Amino acid sequence: MGTATEQAEFDNSLRLYTYGQVVDSGRAPTMAEAAAEMSSSEAAVRAAYVRLSESHAFMLTESGELWRVAPFSAIPTAFPVQSGGHTYYGNCIWDALGIPAMLGQDATIPASCGCCNLEMTLRVKAGSLLPHEGLIHVAVPARRWYEDVVFT
Amino acid sequence: MSRWCRQWKREQGGSFSLQQGWDLARLWYGDRLSPKWRPFNAQEAQEVFAKVGLTGDFWSLD
Repeated sequence: MGTATEQAEFDNSLRLYTYGQVVDSGRAPTMAEAAAEMSSSEAAVRAAYVRLSESHAFMLTESGELWRVAPFSAIPTAFPVQSGGHTYYGNCIWDALGIPAMLGQDATIPASCGCCNLEMTLRVKAGSLLPHEGLIHVAVPARRWYEDVVFT
Repeated sequence: MSRWCRQWKREQGGSFSLQQGWDLARLWYGDRLSPKWRPFNAQEAQEVFAKVGLTGDFWSLD
């Protein structure tokens, strides 16, 4: 790849393609699919995803495929988000709320309470979160979130 | 929350309301599909936390 500007443009194109795929299909593209779309090699795409992961917006599995396309999780989690005829997944309740915030769409989030496991379904309608009892608890101090992001 | 902390043997962390979570989600992710999006730097992220009332050492990124 050529200049830093070209690299930044490639990364941004890949980022937007990846979001488009997740939004449209509910799943993240594989490295091979992204390489084909970008008319590039898997190595170049993987390197771009590594750069996009520096901000933790994207994260890769040990096998090199995407597992986080924030706010989406590329794998099912305990935070499903039903919106626009799709079921997406957030990595946490912040990310689950981030999906309708990002899409500008109504959503139902059939989550459960972290301590008692009782149903705790949240709804976003017309740009507002409908009132619901509950608190969001973050166990890990902000400066340490990415030491073990799965636990966080 | 106390039950969860006992179950997982964790000290109680920080908490905020669902409405604060929604406000935070909108500020954090509202422009994520924009071609002009770029990640927040630490100072900008801290300012977003402060906007929704998340201040103090627990929420500090330093």
